[in-house]
Amino acid sequence: MSEISEVDPLITETADRLFSQICDHESVQNAEVTGEATEIWKAFAETGFPWISISEEFGGSGGTLLDALEVLRLVGYHAAPIPAAETGILGGWLLSSSGQQLPEGVVTVLPSGSENLLVARTGDRLTLTGRGLRVPWARTAEIIVVPVEVDDQTFVASVQPGDCQITPMTNMAGEPRDTVDFNEVEAFAAPVPSDVNLRSFRFRGALSRTALMAGAIEKMSQLTVSYTNDRVQFGRPVAKFQAVQQHLVWGAQDAALARMAAESAAREANRGSGAFEIAAAKLIANQAAARATKACHQAHGAMGMTQEYPLHHLSRRLWSWRKEYGGDAEWSEWLGRIAISQGADGLYPLITGGSGVLR
Amino acid sequence: MSDLTEEQIRSALDSILERRNADTRLTTMGAGSDDLEAGRRYLANTVTDGWHVPTWPAQHGGRNASASQNALIGSVLREFIVPDLYPFAIGLGMVGPALLTHGNDSQQEEWLKAIASGTSIWCQMFSEPEAGSDLANVALQAKLDGDEWVIEGQKTWTSRAMWADWAICLARTDPAQPKHKGLTMFAMPMSIPGVEVRPLMQMNRDAHFSEVFVEEARLNDQWRIGDVGEGWRVAMTVLAHERAGGGSRGGGDGSTRGAHIPSWIKDLQALPTEQTAIWDDAVMGLYSHDAVSRWTTQRAADEARSSGSPGPAGSGAKLRTVKSYKGRAYLANQSSGAYGMLEDGHGYIELMTAPSMSIRGGTDEIQRNILGERVLGLPGEPRLDRDVPWKESRRGLI
Repeated sequence: MSEISEVDPLITETADRLFSQICDHESVQNAEVTGEATEIWKAFAETGFPWISISEEFGGSGGTLLDALEVLRLVGYHAAPIPAAETGILGGWLLSSSGQQLPEGVVTVLPSGSENLLVARTGDRLTLTGRGLRVPWARTAEIIVVPVEVDDQTFVASVQPGDCQITPMTNMAGEPRDTVDFNEVEAFAAPVPSDVNLRSFRFRGALSRTALMAGAIEKMSQLTVSYTNDRVQFGRPVAKFQAVQQHLVWGAQDAALARMAAESAAREANRGSGAFEIAAAKLIANQAAARATKACHQAHGAMGMTQEYPLHHLSRRLWSWRKEYGGDAEWSEWLGRIAISQGADGLYPLITGGSGVLR
Repeated sequence: MSDLTEEQIRSALDSILERRNADTRLTTMGAGSDDLEAGRRYLANTVTDGWHVPTWPAQHGGRNASASQNALIGSVLREFIVPDLYPFAIGLGMVGPALLTHGNDSQQEEWLKAIASGTSIWCQMFSEPEAGSDLANVALQAKLDGDEWVIEGQKTWTSRAMWADWAICLARTDPAQPKHKGLTMFAMPMSIPGVEVRPLMQMNRDAHFSEVFVEEARLNDQWRIGDVGEGWRVAMTVLAHERAGGGSRGGGDGSTRGAHIPSWIKDLQALPTEQTAIWDDAVMGLYSHDAVSRWTTQRAADEARSSGSPGPAGSGAKLRTVKSYKGRAYLANQSSGAYGMLEDGHGYIELMTAPSMSIRGGTDEIQRNILGERVLGLPGEPRLDRDVPWKESRRGLI
């Protein structure tokens, strides 16, 4: 594909409207307390959004990866407490790439794949032993997908949650990140094409987080602008003070930066590569999240620290997501290695040409 | 009382307190336990000889100590286990010193000893929904009715309100005056009819802040602190003591004297994270900043003691202390890698509390404004509401 793809505007509009209706402050807060958001998930699933970019042949909704990432951006924007990335572009992608049908409900993925598991293979059956950490929504998943590297080949294993021991845990934002123990769990596994492996899964995981984070930073910035324009102190809205305006500028800059990086990574990934753009976008999003949460919290003053005001839904998610699928160190190191390998004369072409140069 | 030597102080404290060791850890202010008893026992223990508030008069729970004697006692006291005094900090560090300046004899008699001995807990009813950084905008009103004041209004961010026996409460007594001039300070018993406390849940799961609703509560005029219309001056004294960090003695890391590695670094070293040169650099940066911060705070406190009232140096000290706290919280979180994402990860409470440090007790912006105007002599912020009656300026002028 050489033509530049665009997001279908109908997707943006419909998903935004849907989340505006189903994800209010109360329902997001409630999901944190109960550990589930059945109603939100049901409404989301009815639209077919979770399965965009997965071929209909395997139970997906069709459409492009670009569209799927746009939905994820809106999931982040509305702090929707649902496993959208896990069910679609991560778990759904792995299942369909290995020719397996998607279930009707929630799918989750072991973020570290088979890295910390003992694996034994007999034909299309795998036996897994070990522990998976910080597995999103494992407690409500119909299938736990595990990308496995064994015998120099990559397989996608579909594990029945009932065969594992699941211990509910949560991340800083109160989202489910469960511990999953495998004790000689037998699972069906199918091989995948060579471009699907633990490395490309890591990049795709990072890609999903850049979209979520771009949305969350944008919403955080917008909330901050609107709050500081409403809040009157010393006879005028606090947004009229330069010291506050500087915070607003940081928030807005970081929102623009993260979104631009996420969109450029999405476009390249949609064309089938994009490793450089994804690594850069995740690092940019991580750093932008740290700066923007500081600026936005500061501009909100005490109100931003309360549970009754929605800022924390976004800031705590950002603090969690910036560490998922690679923190600053991992992606800085990866980018550093690539930059060095290009030599001094290759640096500028790498920055301007991105993944295209590396092919 | 004649000045004691360091050894005499140490031996006196040895008979009533336990020495601290390297395992004694920092406590996070406002996210600590709800244990009032440890603090009460400690204060009851130390009040007889006035060890915790040495500069206060002996009859009010101090020991008439000079500034230098007080500093010496403070440094020796750091060798002993002092429990988290968070519940008592407003009384000890802010209300007490303000009463010594603005309270009359019978008020000092009634309240100071009770504060020093831990028998009464105070909270500070200053901030309101529309009066945060712009504190002088308070709207809670007090109207004189015979020899009683009738109080009506709402306060917010009132820390410790649910434990408090008394509040120091800033009220509007004359709405026709400009905002700073029509204010009066009162002491209010929290148990009188018409006072209702509702806790506010924070994002760090802490609920030590409350909203306080006051409906037709009646206060005896003998509980007024300072003259009618002088409330802002009293409030400034209270706030200056808050910035100078008075009363924050207690908790603290296990530092004694001489070279040692602070407990927060030991905790970081214990994490299963690779400790690279970049990490070393970040730790050393914070360590040096901490040292400067500690000296700045001490200097501010010494200045406050010798001049009798804390000055703008307290604002500098607060900015630095906050930067230390946030720096540690962010570094601990970064150092704990993926594990730091989880709720039970190392430093979760500190990370969730960190942003509030730059907000509570006067935001960074307010502190920098004070430094800019009072230390550097920069032009002041436009004061639109100067000389405008409060009832006209309260809703905003632009």
